[in-house]
Amino acid sequence: MTSEVKIPDPLDLDRDEEARLRRVAGMAPERAPAGEYAGFESVGLPERPPQTEREREVYSLEEGEMLVNMGPQHPSTHGVMRLVVKVRGEVVTDVDPVLGYLHRGIEKLCEEATYTTVLTYVDPMDYLSSMHNEHAPAIAFEKLFGVTAPKRAEYIRALVVELNRVFSHSLMMGFLALDMGGITPILYGFINRDEIVDMLSAISGQRMLFNFFRVGGVNFDANDEFFSRLGTWRGHVLKNVEMSERVITDNEVFRSRTIGMGTLSGRDAIALGVSGPNLRASGVPFDIRKAHPYSIYPELEFEVITQPGGDSNARYLQRIAEIKQSINLIDQIVDKMPHGAVQAQVPGIIRPKPGRAYAAVESPRGLYSVYAISDGGPNPYRFRMRDPSFVSLQAIPKLMPGRLIADTMAVMASFDPVMGGVDK
Amino acid sequence: MWTDEDTVEVTIEGDRNVAVLQVLRDDPKLNFFYLADAAAVDYGPTEHFEVVYHLYSDRHPVWLRVRARVNRADPHVPSITGLWEGAMFHEREMYDMMGILFDGNRDLRRIYMSPDYRSFPQRKDFLLPDDAADSSAAGVRPLERPETWDLSRLSDELAPGVLAHVEGEK
Repeated sequence: MTSEVKIPDPLDLDRDEEARLRRVAGMAPERAPAGEYAGFESVGLPERPPQTEREREVYSLEEGEMLVNMGPQHPSTHGVMRLVVKVRGEVVTDVDPVLGYLHRGIEKLCEEATYTTVLTYVDPMDYLSSMHNEHAPAIAFEKLFGVTAPKRAEYIRALVVELNRVFSHSLMMGFLALDMGGITPILYGFINRDEIVDMLSAISGQRMLFNFFRVGGVNFDANDEFFSRLGTWRGHVLKNVEMSERVITDNEVFRSRTIGMGTLSGRDAIALGVSGPNLRASGVPFDIRKAHPYSIYPELEFEVITQPGGDSNARYLQRIAEIKQSINLIDQIVDKMPHGAVQAQVPGIIRPKPGRAYAAVESPRGLYSVYAISDGGPNPYRFRMRDPSFVSLQAIPKLMPGRLIADTMAVMASFDPVMGGVDK
Repeated sequence: MWTDEDTVEVTIEGDRNVAVLQVLRDDPKLNFFYLADAAAVDYGPTEHFEVVYHLYSDRHPVWLRVRARVNRADPHVPSITGLWEGAMFHEREMYDMMGILFDGNRDLRRIYMSPDYRSFPQRKDFLLPDDAADSSAAGVRPLERPETWDLSRLSDELAPGVLAHVEGEK
């Protein structure tokens, strides 16, 4: 009986007729009411006066539109994040990211911590690139304090950050496929990651929050277990990467859901502050390792890789190319690694002269930078971190209108945001 | 003007930031096309705020740091979202954490704290809950207890414009 009733497009009918048809069909609650701030109720916000133009724009509904909360507990939001998505049927018309669910106030905490302790606080920020998180403050504090790390320490630093980049990128490949319904690639990604994590725990003593960098060097020298694991891993890593490539790259579902999806031009990407692999996938050759060389990168040979496409598929291909580039860099670093000390002479409590320092590194998600101000005391007066995924998230509301709601997560995953870093 | 090994620093008045940054971005000889960072610094209750921009150019081997001074009693700065759209989240964070108002920013909402939060946690005179009881501001700061919010007392500390924005009267 129900299947015989054909419902025309409800937007063309008046409300009574629509209500009657819905009743006959025995389906669906009433549409969400349209109007200014009608959206507040549907996403569980209390009634309150509008604060900004943009808020008025997002939370006012036109006929036929509704707001959907995606998250904060959604399994594929890569952390605890909420997207308020305005949809018309299945088509997204607007997106409003709501952040702050993981906000721990790390910048404020760092103002109360000594310079050495700051390096432990920044670890859990962007938890897939903890080594990079420590690298930038270490450089900034060395500038403030006027100390240089020994050559071997710089090589070990470069080695561990490149290893960290490889595991972060292989997880990104897995999560991107997972958000499109493919389970297998994430398992390959985790195999690759666990080997590297074991290696890094051999050198630093911890699996995830390494606490490895020190002002003026690194905590431990590279030991035999580290190099033995590195050799074993290097023997089969390219095969592993190719294996996950074979599973993903030419997969028909993957291709149809990434090619032409979320296309970001180079000009827009620069205006939005997108950086790192996401910016290079839009054809802009901007890599901090070349643009503002730090550590030992001037001594290594590599080219900045870019992709012409700017879509989700280009961002994925960019990650694969960067994994291979990082493996090449790791070979060069191990070849050239000198002997010597790994820690410069620094006092237990560091008191730099008053001053300011800025240091930026190329993290797997882009430009990660630190701006530190010293007032001569044992704690930084101000400690500012610029997290790349925080800034890249602004691209999502630009890219999603006109796309299907199911593609929101797929496009977001191609930007590889990590909420620990976004919320600080 | 002040420099170190890889940074050049310029200090300007807060209300000239758009004009200065526009020249830096659009002059082909300067070509500082990428906004690397925008952050606010509080120099204490008796001093001033600073909005600090870091810029990148492919013509020069240095970072450019532009420090814009902002009056603490009346913290208004022009927004640079017209130059770089991506400054939006930075400015929202600065508003949320420091209470700096960016004129011309069309989405100046809280970004980390909840929309009804009424303090600016990264100001130097904001004390952490641990030491709030000992502070001179004890009982004034609302911290995490909304039922104790007393706006008449808050308004003594906050500049009137900031309070109006928080209240949504603007």
